Amino acid sequence: MSIRIFQAALTAASLALLPGLAGAQVSEQPPIGDPVPFELPETTGFTLDNGLEVTFIPFGLAPTVNISLQVRAANIDDGSQTFLADLTGAMLEEGSAGRSSDVIATEIAAMGGALNVGVGRHTTNISTGVLSQYGPDAVALLADLALRPNFDDSEFERVRANLVRDVDVQRAQPGSIATEAYARILFGPDHPYGNTLPGEEQLRGYELSDVQAFYATNYGAGRARLYVAGHFDAAAMEAAIRDAFGAWATGDADAAAGAPASGGPIVQLIDRPGAPQTTIRLGFPAMAIGADDAPAMTVMNALLGGSFTSRLTRNLREDKGYTYSPGSGVTWTMEGGYWTFNADVTAADTAAALRETFGEITRLQSETPPADEADGMRNWLAGIFILQNASTGGLIGQLGQRDLYGLPDDYLDQYVPNILAVSDEDISRMARDYLPLDQMVLVLVGDLAVIGDDVRALPEVAAAEVRE
Amino acid sequence: MNFYKNLATGASILLLAACQPAGVPDETATPDTPRDTAAAESALSTEFTVDVSYHQLDNGLRVVLSEDDSVPTATVAVYYGVGFRNEPRGRTGFAHLFEHLMFAGSENLPHGAFDTLIYGNGGVNNGSTRYDFTNYYEVVPSNALNAVLWAEADRMRAPNLDESQLDNQREVVRNEVFVNVINQPYGGWIWIDLPMAANENWHNSHNFYGDLTDLDAASLDDAQAFFDQFYAPNNAVLVVAGAIDKDATLAMIEDLFSAIPAGDALPEIDTSEPRQEEEKFAVREDDLANQPALAVGYHMPERGTPEYYAMILIDQLLVQGDDSRLNQSLVNEEGFASGVFGGINLLGNAFNYNGPMLWTVGMIHDSEFTVSDVMTSLDATVEGVRTELVSEADVERARTKLLSDFYGTVDTATRFGLVDLLASFAMFDDDPSRINRITEGFEQVTPELIRATAQEYLRPSNRTVLEVRLADEDGSE
Repeated sequence: MSIRIFQAALTAASLALLPGLAGAQVSEQPPIGDPVPFELPETTGFTLDNGLEVTFIPFGLAPTVNISLQVRAANIDDGSQTFLADLTGAMLEEGSAGRSSDVIATEIAAMGGALNVGVGRHTTNISTGVLSQYGPDAVALLADLALRPNFDDSEFERVRANLVRDVDVQRAQPGSIATEAYARILFGPDHPYGNTLPGEEQLRGYELSDVQAFYATNYGAGRARLYVAGHFDAAAMEAAIRDAFGAWATGDADAAAGAPASGGPIVQLIDRPGAPQTTIRLGFPAMAIGADDAPAMTVMNALLGGSFTSRLTRNLREDKGYTYSPGSGVTWTMEGGYWTFNADVTAADTAAALRETFGEITRLQSETPPADEADGMRNWLAGIFILQNASTGGLIGQLGQRDLYGLPDDYLDQYVPNILAVSDEDISRMARDYLPLDQMVLVLVGDLAVIGDDVRALPEVAAAEVRE
Repeated sequence: MNFYKNLATGASILLLAACQPAGVPDETATPDTPRDTAAAESALSTEFTVDVSYHQLDNGLRVVLSEDDSVPTATVAVYYGVGFRNEPRGRTGFAHLFEHLMFAGSENLPHGAFDTLIYGNGGVNNGSTRYDFTNYYEVVPSNALNAVLWAEADRMRAPNLDESQLDNQREVVRNEVFVNVINQPYGGWIWIDLPMAANENWHNSHNFYGDLTDLDAASLDDAQAFFDQFYAPNNAVLVVAGAIDKDATLAMIEDLFSAIPAGDALPEIDTSEPRQEEEKFAVREDDLANQPALAVGYHMPERGTPEYYAMILIDQLLVQGDDSRLNQSLVNEEGFASGVFGGINLLGNAFNYNGPMLWTVGMIHDSEFTVSDVMTSLDATVEGVRTELVSEADVERARTKLLSDFYGTVDTATRFGLVDLLASFAMFDDDPSRINRITEGFEQVTPELIRATAQEYLRPSNRTVLEVRLADEDGSE
């Protein structure tokens, strides 16, 4: 293989540079070789008559197979009934095809797996991972769960009570409190994007009939994609899939639309008396994942806050010690996206941390980053692209994202070239175009008695609408 | 840099890297890497063998190499045989604080240069501190492997132990404790509070994240003494896995590491726990939580014994997965909680520790149910395993789940799970090839051994019950 030959040559070259150094310290760094080639695995696909799209991703030596059914029936479809998609997803796990959840759990466990239902903003992911020889049997169980839920009345109250408790627990966490308020400012109260958690009374008001209605309206083969990744017998799996999913009704077309995020300037201060840290969400609307600027935004994010070597991490953590885990990222939605910086900072340093954060944004807006720093970020994104695609779970995630957003078939093939084509000046342009501090959305959850005065005195905050 | 294990995933066998801000692939999926895609199209093979070669340098450094050319990356891990159990009295949390210092620069790599080397060449890195080791690991495109080995050698030989870096990382760690423990509901309850309550020996029962006053007291002299004592090649294992040329890599390792002098013999510490004879109870008043929680920890049989392997199967039978007995009884039948979770060594897995350990069960349960309600039901389920023989089918299912977990652990994009097992088996068993015999211990386990093990180790008098109470327990919550 070409990679092996290349490596051997590289190693020989490295050794030649370091003759006879055993016994002494090696003070010179061995050279970095040329980038190694990496190719995504070949996938195959087919579509059932009912519209279900199937993708096979042969990728594996370990004899396991991951099966993931991604249905576009999720929180975006909640309407005003926040978390109805979650309640529906939870009820799917409570037995199917007339059999109890205990029996099904035991069967799938004997194959080495579990049936999981994860409800997200745009898709509900029904998935399992089993030993390879059980792939076709697992497909049948997974189809039962998606197509023939029992929706048994005797399970409903317990499941709803679980969700009420889980939401209550989330509301005790500063991160969830901050994220809920942040989403509400970005998207308002009238779109599901702006409602990340339901009210307790609202949730207690849902009945099994609501779940059945949500399922009937939103679940169907026409809104689903099935991914099979790992080590499997393709012919046997295709036969099992056609058998298990062939009779699934196509269902209604997608009806829910996305919504663009709105900017500020809005600052929301949420009191958490006695909190030793302040939980920060700072953000701005961004472009859609398929937009021309998306690769440049991705590199800008890595350089500013999205990587461990980013400016905000080096400044706030490695220089000032204000925080442990600062970070930033772009979240894509159906109509666009938004960029968010998040951190938990020592309460007394809250205003100072914000001052540094605003300062780093302003500096990036006004100064093109040095070429070596920008190179490092492009290299990092190219390198972790390998890691993002070097597992069955990663590949399903990457292909699922491509398909969900309707990106071109060669989106992943073009990803690294597009990242490497981002210019140093593009990076600053992204900060100018998308991170205007006078339109920021800022949420702080902390001890307002400690942080309030200092924060309100920041010019960027003083110029904003402050909600308390 | 990371310490915190996200227990909510229930994936107790995975080692998490918690501090990377973004872009790190999700390790909680069950991923694979391709080594032979052609085989997938023909007859289905269920063979899986990890390539292992094992070496030792003259200075005592143990080296494990594992070649897998499927993806052009290389994973490097350095494990030092020092963890929470070894840290000095009066310096709780020091092993972890020192881990942070190892990122603060070394003789040829000023502060930040190590991270820039890794990230700037397309990789990620992290470190973590556990009971019996502190590890440092990187995954990079394979063209950067030699540079990474050089960087690891540089900080093994000559880290910059610097006052300003110590002060900075002290603040970072303080914020880490805030964000993971002090400012979170339930923060650390099951992985700090419970072991502290359950263990008698200080080495196992102190706060290993560190009392904040101990962190404040930590000095540069402490750091130098700790480094000199523990961070020597004879107390370390180096693992390199991935798209590597083994001979060339070993030659490079010899060049880079063999000049680092061996350290003194390590101090013997007694970490043993007495046999527990009476049930223990502990309470955590939690101002931030709004639902009560309950954790139960039982002392494990000694690692490597037949009973230990039986306990690993019992863990599968009782608490791992939706099919497990405690999930079926406490969650599905009684509705006490949304889920029951737990396992052996919540900060790692059943293999990567070497000393006393707990088997743990925990849940956040509804405030409408009392501790006594939950414990009555838990006892009934646990007593079932203590008094009745489990079926062969149950044992076989537990083995299948373990095998599937094992594949999920060793076959990930970063190979961090793979190198963790190789390093642990080298460090604690002097035999990394155990990875290819990992199922042997389970195959010996019979229903009779499971019952006998449960009789001794699932005694109520062998456990500690930790209750998380709300601040206004009798209030209107």
